[in-house]
Amino acid sequence: MALPPPALTLTGLTKRFGSKTAVDDISLDIRDGEFFTIVGPSGSGKSSLVRLLAGLDTPTTGRLHLRGTDITEVPANRRPTAMVFQSLALFDHRSVGQNIEFAMKMKGVPQAERRARALDLLRLVRLPEDYYPRPVTQCSGGERQRVALARALGSDPEILFFDEPLSAIDYRLRKTLEVELKELHQRTGKTFIYITHSLEEAMVMSDRIAIMRTGRFEQIGTPDEIYRRPNSRFVASFMGEVNILEISRTKGTPHFADLDLPAPQAPGAFAVLRPEALSPGAGEGPSFDALVTQKLMLGSRTQFHLRAGNTALIAEVAAGPRSALEVGQTARFGFDPADIAWVDS
Amino acid sequence: MRRNPGLWYALPLIVAMLLFFAAPMVIVVWYSLMPPRSFALTTDIGLQNYRSAFADGYGRPLMWSLLGAALTTLITAVLAWPTAKILHRHTGRWASLVTALIALPIFISESVRLFGLSVFLMPGGGILAGTLNALFDVQIGTILNTRLAALVGMIYIHFPFMLFPLLLGVAMIPADRIEAARDLGASSWAVLREVELPLAAPGLLVGGLLTFVLCLGANAEAAILGGRAVTVITATIEQRFNYAQDWPMGAALTVLVIVVTAALVFPAVRRIDLNRMLRR
Repeated sequence: MALPPPALTLTGLTKRFGSKTAVDDISLDIRDGEFFTIVGPSGSGKSSLVRLLAGLDTPTTGRLHLRGTDITEVPANRRPTAMVFQSLALFDHRSVGQNIEFAMKMKGVPQAERRARALDLLRLVRLPEDYYPRPVTQCSGGERQRVALARALGSDPEILFFDEPLSAIDYRLRKTLEVELKELHQRTGKTFIYITHSLEEAMVMSDRIAIMRTGRFEQIGTPDEIYRRPNSRFVASFMGEVNILEISRTKGTPHFADLDLPAPQAPGAFAVLRPEALSPGAGEGPSFDALVTQKLMLGSRTQFHLRAGNTALIAEVAAGPRSALEVGQTARFGFDPADIAWVDS
Repeated sequence: MRRNPGLWYALPLIVAMLLFFAAPMVIVVWYSLMPPRSFALTTDIGLQNYRSAFADGYGRPLMWSLLGAALTTLITAVLAWPTAKILHRHTGRWASLVTALIALPIFISESVRLFGLSVFLMPGGGILAGTLNALFDVQIGTILNTRLAALVGMIYIHFPFMLFPLLLGVAMIPADRIEAARDLGASSWAVLREVELPLAAPGLLVGGLLTFVLCLGANAEAAILGGRAVTVITATIEQRFNYAQDWPMGAALTVLVIVVTAALVFPAVRRIDLNRMLRR
């Protein structure tokens, strides 16, 4: 049985602005119904890429196929896709209902049908029906997010794009909306392509994540793969605090350069060690003495900032007897070599 | 009096407004109620001037003025919209230069510019006709001394008054709203109707009002370019005051123009939020 064509196929997609290459020869298949997230720092080209996908810009070279049909030259208003903008770009001169109905009005859907669909969509994004006649200017930040989402869904798109829509939202609301978005993805079964600078946000929602750097994908994988098997220090450091230890091979056997510990099996140039993989007490694996320079309570976990020789390290321990260490104390810390992710660059 | 210092600070302005704005208005209204061709302000008031304003053929000049103002407003709006869009898109040295070139003629006397346009349009040896004849051997007539010429003059003079408020209006349209509308399936025409015009409406309204009111009071265009083809209401009013020596009739016509203007301006002004316009 032949596989259905991918929802979106990118072939050598490139976008140059003058001498600057924002999107550099990207090829990729995005599966139907996938929640695909592109993560990158500002200036990595992720917004330029999603603008190409939505048809708001045309690529310098490369092709774009939607379910096998070439849509490279099709303008945004004739693509069956919709975007939730970073600024939301709501029509402030219109009501909530008129915003949600905009795409349907453009298609010539009769008013009664539009209204019924808009009320359905309000329910879907968990807004009360009596928001329908309200001016969008009277909505709070989170409500505006939901209106923007309902408006994009109002065009019944095959693919939804999100350009960092949650970046201006406070932490707690963002967490709520992340979960709701994931549920919405499961309920609608549509393909979601999401742009963010937060790998943490991507981890929560995505089926697959692409890490973008200077116009190219550094790594593509499931959240688990990205987390456990980053393929570079760049990807590893994206997940927030992480210990990166260089391997020195100058003195015969490989060893951790900064810790002066032997590293007999070192398949990479750098060892990436998550803070939770580093714990007090010597176990089976390598261990070393470290001075506690800072102790931070993170709720269920305690974070220790350590100094071993000239190296600063971070360890995280579940709250309990093992977190009894205080600033100024020196203790032995160890790790299991199996927890190391090896990278070459 | 110590309780309200604001009133004392405002007093000079209040006196000035009463003397130079309210008092002349009262005098004009009072004169309009006097018997025809009288020069004194008495208590012998009546509405006979207003009756003759509607009966004695003054309606035609007023109609021409209103029609000319409406047409000019419409045409300058249609011309200024794409101009404003282009100037807004290409902000930079080039756009500043073009903007300055459009603004520059405002500092030159209107009559001088209109006589210039008259020389340009003149038949035979006029600039346009003469050049076409000399270079391309094409002979053309002229629109000089027609209603069309008066209208062309009105558009030429009032274009900047539409353009500059409209530039402010166009600047109030965030680019992402246009992209969002396109992304949701809007054609260029739908983007204009659903997003751009409503968002730029304050600028359009200010430009429209400015142009309309100025056109209603304009007479040089009709006098210099229109010849005798068209008589506008301001020319009639001037004639009543000067040649006809009928101050009450001139005053009555003036009051009518003020009433028409006020009926258009006040509802429109109430819809404009100047603060919002200037903040962006």
